[in-house]
Amino acid sequence: MIPLSLRALARRPLRAALAIGGVAVASAMLLDMVMLSGGIERSFEQMLLGRGYQIRLSPKGTLPFDTEASVSRVSGLIERLERDPEIVGVAPVLGGSLYARSADSLLTVFGYGIDPAAQFLYQVEAGRDLGAEDTLGILLSRASARAIQAGPGDTIRIVGRLDPQIGAAAVERSVVVRGLVRWLYDYQDQRSVGVVLPLMQRLLGPLATDRASLIVLKVRADSAVPAVAARLRVEFPSVEVNSVAQLVVHFRERLVYFRQLSYILGAISLVVTVLLVATLLTITVSERLGEIATLRAIGVRRSRIIRQMLGEGLALTGSGAVLGVLLGLATARYLDAILKSFPGLPAALSFFVVQPRAIATAAVILVLTGIVAGIYPAWLASKAPIAATLRAEAP
Amino acid sequence: MCEKPPLLALAVLGVLGVGAPRCGAIQAPSPNTDSLIHIAVERRLARELGLRVGDTVRLGPTLDSVSTPAVVAAVYEPRRDPSGIIRPDFHVRLHLPDLSRLLGAQDRVDRFGIGIQPGADPRRGAEKLNQVAFGFRAFESDEIASKSSQTFLVVSRFHRAIALITVVASAIFLLCIMLLKVEERRNDVAVMRFVGVRRRVVFLAIVIEAALIALLGSAAGVAMALAAGAATNAYYRRLFDTQLIFSQVTPRLLIFGVVLSLVLGLGAGAVAAWRLVRTPPLALWGRAG
Repeated sequence: MIPLSLRALARRPLRAALAIGGVAVASAMLLDMVMLSGGIERSFEQMLLGRGYQIRLSPKGTLPFDTEASVSRVSGLIERLERDPEIVGVAPVLGGSLYARSADSLLTVFGYGIDPAAQFLYQVEAGRDLGAEDTLGILLSRASARAIQAGPGDTIRIVGRLDPQIGAAAVERSVVVRGLVRWLYDYQDQRSVGVVLPLMQRLLGPLATDRASLIVLKVRADSAVPAVAARLRVEFPSVEVNSVAQLVVHFRERLVYFRQLSYILGAISLVVTVLLVATLLTITVSERLGEIATLRAIGVRRSRIIRQMLGEGLALTGSGAVLGVLLGLATARYLDAILKSFPGLPAALSFFVVQPRAIATAAVILVLTGIVAGIYPAWLASKAPIAATLRAEAP
Repeated sequence: MCEKPPLLALAVLGVLGVGAPRCGAIQAPSPNTDSLIHIAVERRLARELGLRVGDTVRLGPTLDSVSTPAVVAAVYEPRRDPSGIIRPDFHVRLHLPDLSRLLGAQDRVDRFGIGIQPGADPRRGAEKLNQVAFGFRAFESDEIASKSSQTFLVVSRFHRAIALITVVASAIFLLCIMLLKVEERRNDVAVMRFVGVRRRVVFLAIVIEAALIALLGSAAGVAMALAAGAATNAYYRRLFDTQLIFSQVTPRLLIFGVVLSLVLGLGAGAVAAWRLVRTPPLALWGRAG
């Protein structure tokens, strides 16, 4: 049936080429929108679960690193969490602005106070990691290293707070660069540094004593995460407890615009495809009424005619879809590059995630679209009056 | 008035709401004449907590220290800010000394604005301040505006890219439809050619017809765009509880849309007409050898 349909379409090459082009662009748009509708959430989830920590504790009413607020009396909180038999890992982080001396000037950098034994924030790319109680070491992102002009083994001076009134650093330390790392949640070219948590607390001063911006937890079994999160919420009412799944929901709420846009544009793409294929096939049927009537007159069954028209619709949509997938993947990369330039967004996050499931979903939708578009022309073809048409078409 | 348990925490402040059915009208904050802190509450927050002018709330820097009483002196509508869509935090406004005392951050500010003499160059002023600055950095207002609008520039670039894809799809669609439409006229054109109508006239007739169709189509498109824009604004304003404008159909956009569809229609009509007038009349009539 399909080869016959392809031959029928080849009789009008320009018309078929234009229709395939139109379907290709529409299906590229559809594929992009299918990728956009769930891609960023999956990308966000993969990023958060990359190191296996499934629960985040942040200051009440906030999401992790959403504000400068921090959790107080964190050492007691960590002790209690570590005693929990279902929790196998606790990693506190304190974030804040620091300054690094570079020649005569001070560069503003973002500082992470971490526990190197339970870290989930970075990958070491050069040099080595911090030791558990290494208060004399520091880790730099490549952007920081470039700006400070320092590398592993160099000693730099880091300033915690500045006192404008006396024109001097309130807290300043000499630290040795242990390594260059890639911070997993940093945006492109973010200048970040990492020191152990106690040093970060000292650098930020009295307001940061025994505080953390975020505590992440690794639960023994993934299936226990919702129950553990619910229990912690009751046990620690003064902190916000979120599992990765709940953070994904918050994230989805914030990016609701992109999801809705993807649904709207995806729907428009489908309508365009249906209109294009249905119009083309309807006109083709009108032109081929004589041929269809002849086929019917020599005994070809009505169902065969219907299958033939549906086959042509599928052939058009299928050929367009194959091109559309290639076009869609290319445009997705372009659109992703645009959206990834959002200020403050982690560089590791993608809006368009290529997943076999997304491609399969788009393909199934397109096949259904092709069938829907072929229904009306097929019905027209099957209802063609044989005798009247043959009389009208006779020379 | 009866006190309610904590309802939500703000970025910095924990707020304990006090019952009241509805928020009051927007009023200017009262001067701080007594020992209580006077605050202005954003309309959304007032609605969320059921606050109105004159109610008492308690504030604190952390949820476990929500103890400082404060009187709602005003409920205000914040300035339209698109960034509020992505980060829908609730806001309250306090007099600076009150907030400093509350946060334990005496004599500190996050930022402050500086007015300069008329005619003075803000860029040079910022540079001068940065040369002597210690512990702060001076920015021009334009620079801050440019940085804070980056998000919307990205969204705008994304929309333009999507629009480009849509235009390509529409152009192909239009070309295809025009081609089909003209193909339907094969017999008419054949008759016109048989009775002596010149190719140029036939060509022009088809192109004019295509232009008319494009014009009518674009007029329908304008009506649809206006309706879709109104629906978009109504939906997102309700969804985000804001007065921001999400979709704006400007005269420039309308002219662009109409001109583009006219050009595409003319182009598609010309291509289709050219193919038709090149075909011999007998072939058009279906009797070519």
